Amino acid sequence: MASRAVEVAVGVPALAPERAVTWPKRTKTHLSNGLELILAEAHSIPKFHGELFFRSGNAAVADRAPGLAEMAATVARTGTKQRASRQIEEDLRRIGADLSSGAGADTSAISFSGLSEFAEPLLGLVNELAREAAFPEAEFERERRQKLEEVKLQRTEPGFLASERLRKVLFGAHPYGQVSPSEAQVAAYRRDDLLAVYREFYTPQNGILLLVGDFEAQEMLKTAEKVFGAWSGKKPDSSAAAAPANPRGRRAYLVHSPGAVQTQILAGCHAITRKHPDWVKLGLTNSLYGGAFNSRLVMNIREDKGYTYSPRSGVTALRQHGYFSVSAAVRNDVVAASLTEIFYEMDKLRSVPVPEAELADAQNYLTGVFSMGLATQDGLLSQFSTVALNELPEDYLETYRQKVRALTPEDLLAAARKYLDSANMQVVVVGDRAQIEEQAALFGELEVFDAQGNVLT
Amino acid sequence: MKPLRVGVESTKLANGLDVVVAPDTTAPVVTVGVYYKIGFRLEPQGRSGFAHLFEHMMFQGSANAPKMQHIKLVNSSGGLLNGSTSYDVTNYYEAVPSNALERVLWLEADRMRALKVDDENLKNQRDVVKEEVRVNVMNEPYGGFPWLDMPPVAFRNWANAHNFYGDFADLDAAHLDDVQAFFKTYYVPNNAVVLMLGDVKAEEGMALAKKYFGDIPAGAPPPFADPSEPEQTQERRGHVEEKFGTLPAMAIGYVVPKRRTVDWCAMALLDEALHGGRAGRMYRELVLEKQIAVEAGGGISDLFGYNGPTQMTTRILHKPEYASQATLDAFDAVIRDVRENGISADELEQLKVKWRSDYYATLEGGRGGYMPKYGLMHLLACFTLFDDQPQLVNTILDGFLAVTREEIQAAANKYLRNEKRAIVFRTPVKASAPASAGEKEAA
Repeated sequence: MASRAVEVAVGVPALAPERAVTWPKRTKTHLSNGLELILAEAHSIPKFHGELFFRSGNAAVADRAPGLAEMAATVARTGTKQRASRQIEEDLRRIGADLSSGAGADTSAISFSGLSEFAEPLLGLVNELAREAAFPEAEFERERRQKLEEVKLQRTEPGFLASERLRKVLFGAHPYGQVSPSEAQVAAYRRDDLLAVYREFYTPQNGILLLVGDFEAQEMLKTAEKVFGAWSGKKPDSSAAAAPANPRGRRAYLVHSPGAVQTQILAGCHAITRKHPDWVKLGLTNSLYGGAFNSRLVMNIREDKGYTYSPRSGVTALRQHGYFSVSAAVRNDVVAASLTEIFYEMDKLRSVPVPEAELADAQNYLTGVFSMGLATQDGLLSQFSTVALNELPEDYLETYRQKVRALTPEDLLAAARKYLDSANMQVVVVGDRAQIEEQAALFGELEVFDAQGNVLT
Repeated sequence: MKPLRVGVESTKLANGLDVVVAPDTTAPVVTVGVYYKIGFRLEPQGRSGFAHLFEHMMFQGSANAPKMQHIKLVNSSGGLLNGSTSYDVTNYYEAVPSNALERVLWLEADRMRALKVDDENLKNQRDVVKEEVRVNVMNEPYGGFPWLDMPPVAFRNWANAHNFYGDFADLDAAHLDDVQAFFKTYYVPNNAVVLMLGDVKAEEGMALAKKYFGDIPAGAPPPFADPSEPEQTQERRGHVEEKFGTLPAMAIGYVVPKRRTVDWCAMALLDEALHGGRAGRMYRELVLEKQIAVEAGGGISDLFGYNGPTQMTTRILHKPEYASQATLDAFDAVIRDVRENGISADELEQLKVKWRSDYYATLEGGRGGYMPKYGLMHLLACFTLFDDQPQLVNTILDGFLAVTREEIQAAANKYLRNEKRAIVFRTPVKASAPASAGEKEAA
C-alpha cells in the first residue's frame, strides 16, 4: 500500500483510574402462567421501556409464506376485541407512550415505552394486543396493500438488494435465505394465515417480558402478575430447518441497477451464533478489521484512499446460524480496488499476528463501548434482551469485559483464519452493470441479476 | 406528574468560551460536546457544502494530534466520536468511559487552538464527502427529499436556499486557504460552547475546561449574515425528478414562527397534532382512513436546534392511482379542518402528555442507539449559543404545557396559509403500474 506514515500525537493526557462498571440487579422470574419476566430498575428519567418477546419469528413459518410473522405483528396492533385502531393510537398518546410491533427471523415482539405514572394502563394495552388482537378485515386489507408498496420500494434500495442477494447465496432454501416476501406472496396473504400464526406464537409459555426503568421492582412484579396473570397458552411446536450448505469457493453476484452512480459492495461468509464459545474472539477480530472507526479497513479505504464514506464489517447472529459480512458503498471506478483492499486486510489478519499495542487499543474500545449501554433505559433493555433471547449465561454482562481483555494475538489469528474466510467469501455488488461487471468478475465466477431477482445473461 | 430537574452548571471563560456541565453518576460514562455557532446556512457563497466538508477536516489533524490520531485516541480509550453539521451549529462529540475525560478535552482543545491539515487531507475528505452524498442522496430512492429539495423552492435568501450538502463543482473549488480562513473566522472560543455530561463533578469539569481551553486566544466576533427572508405572498412550487423510486411524492412546508414565542409553542403542539405518529391527523387521514398515501409524516425537525427561518414539512408518498392534485386536496382537507375547528380539549390533553413524555426521552436519549445524553447535550448547547440560558432545559417545557386550544387554532390560521407555503413534487421517471386501473379522486 502506498499509504503515508502514521504520525503519533504528542502530550496526550494519560487515562485516569477506571470507575467500576456495575450492571443493575435483574429480577428474573416466571409468572404463574409460564411467562418469563425480567425486571431492572433504572431511574434516569420518569419513564420505562419494555419488550414482550415471543421466541418464534418469520423463519418458523417460512414454509407457509415469507414474512408471515412480520405481517401478523403489523396487523395485531390495528384492533382488539375492545378497541378499534384509532382508539388504540389515541389511548397510547393519552398516556405518553410509544409502541411498535414486528418480527425478525427468530422472534416476534411488541416494544413499548411510556411514562412511569401510566405503567399499568400501558401494560394493559400490551396484554390486550398480545391476547385479544381481532385482525379486523379492513385493517388487514389496508396493511397488506401498504406492505405491497413497501416491498416494491425495497427493490429500489441498493442496501436491500445487496443483503437480499447475500442471504440467498449464504442460506439457499433455508428460511434465513429469504429476507422479504415477493409482491405475489404478499398478495396471497390471507387473514386466516395471520390469525393462525398469532394464536401459535403469542402465548405466555413462548414469551419473555422485559421491563427496565423508573419503577420499584417488587411493585412492578405485582402489576405484571395482575395484568398478564390470567393469560394462558402453550409453547408452539418447533423444529429447526435442515442446515444450509456452506458455499465453497469465492463467487461474485452482480445486481444490475441501471443508472446507479455508486456501487454497493456486500461480501459475506458463514460464521457463528451468539452462543458459540468463539463469539467474543470473533467480536474483537471484527472490531479490529472493520467494526470500529479506527479499524484497519476504515483507515485504509476511507481515510487513506477516499473510496467510500461508510465501510464497515459485522457479525450477524441468528438463532441457528451466523454470518460475517463487510460492506462499502464505493465510487464506480474503484470497485475492484476496494475489493482488493477488503481481501488484503482480511488476509493480513489471517497471516500476521496483531501487534500487542493494537490489540490493547481494540480491547479498550470494545470494553468501553460495551458500558455505554448502562447509561440509558433502552441501552439496558437491549443488553438484557440479548442475554435472554440467546440464552447466554446469567453473568454474561458481568464477565464480558474480562473475556475481551484475556484474548491474545494468537486467539485473533485463529479467529481470523476460521471466520474471515476470504477464500470462500460470497461477493455481492449492486450497481450499473456496464460500469462494474468486468471489475466484479475479477473476484470469482460471476452471475448477474436484475432487481427482481431474474438472472440476466 | 413527576417533574424532572436536570442539574446544570455553566460559566464563561475569559476568552468567551461557554462551559456547561451536567453531572449524573448513573453510569461511568461521560459525553463531551463542542458546539460552534456556524452551520451550513451561513457558509460562504460559491462554497456550498463547505461547512460540512470543513467538519470532516476537523478530524484530519491538529497541532499535536496529527491525522487519524483523534479517531484512534478516542476509540482506544473505549469511546465513540462523531460530528455533524446542521443549519446553525456544527458539533463534535465523544462518549467515553469517564477516566478518559481529560484526554478528550485535550483533543478538543488542540483542534480548537490549531487545525493542522494539508492538501492531501482535503482531497481525501472531498472524495469521502462525495461518496457520502452519493450514498445518502444521489444513489438512494427519495434521497435528500425533502430536506435538500425544499430550500431552493421555499426560500429567496441564498443563506436558506442553497444546496447544503454542496454542488460537486463547489466542493472541488474548495481550497486549503478556505479551510484555514473558515477556521480562523468561526472556530474561535468566543463562538463555541464546551459541554460535559454524565460522570463528572461540576467543579472538576469547570477546572478542566479552564486548564485545557483557558489560554486559547479569543478571536474577533464572527460576522453573521442576515438570514431573514423577504415577506412571502404567494404559494411556491417546484418539481424534482425521482430516479429510482416508483411512488409519486410531495412535500408541503410552512414557515415556523420565531423561536421561544407563544406562537412557536402553539405551533409545536399543532405539529404533534398533525404529525405525531399513527395518531397524528396526517397519517390517520391520508394513510389509515382515506388510504391515499403510503407514507405521510414529518413536522418541524430539530425544533430547538435552529436559529433562522425553518419550516414544518409534511412528506407524502402516495399511491400511483391517485393524482397529485387529489392527494393535495386530501392534505388540504386536514389543514382546513384544524383551521376551522381547532382541536378538542381531549386531544390537547393527549398532545401535552405525549409532548412531555417525548421531552424526557430527548433528555435521556442517545443518537441512533449510542452516544448517551446526545439529546440533553444538543438542547444545552442550543440554549447556550442562541439564548445564553442553558437553564432553559428545566423550564422550556412549561411553555408547551400552557398552550391553549385558542392559541393552537390561532396559530393554524396565521401560519398554515397557502400563500405562506411551498410545495415540492418528486415525480418518478418510471411510473409504477397502479394496483387497480385508472386514476382515482380522493374521497
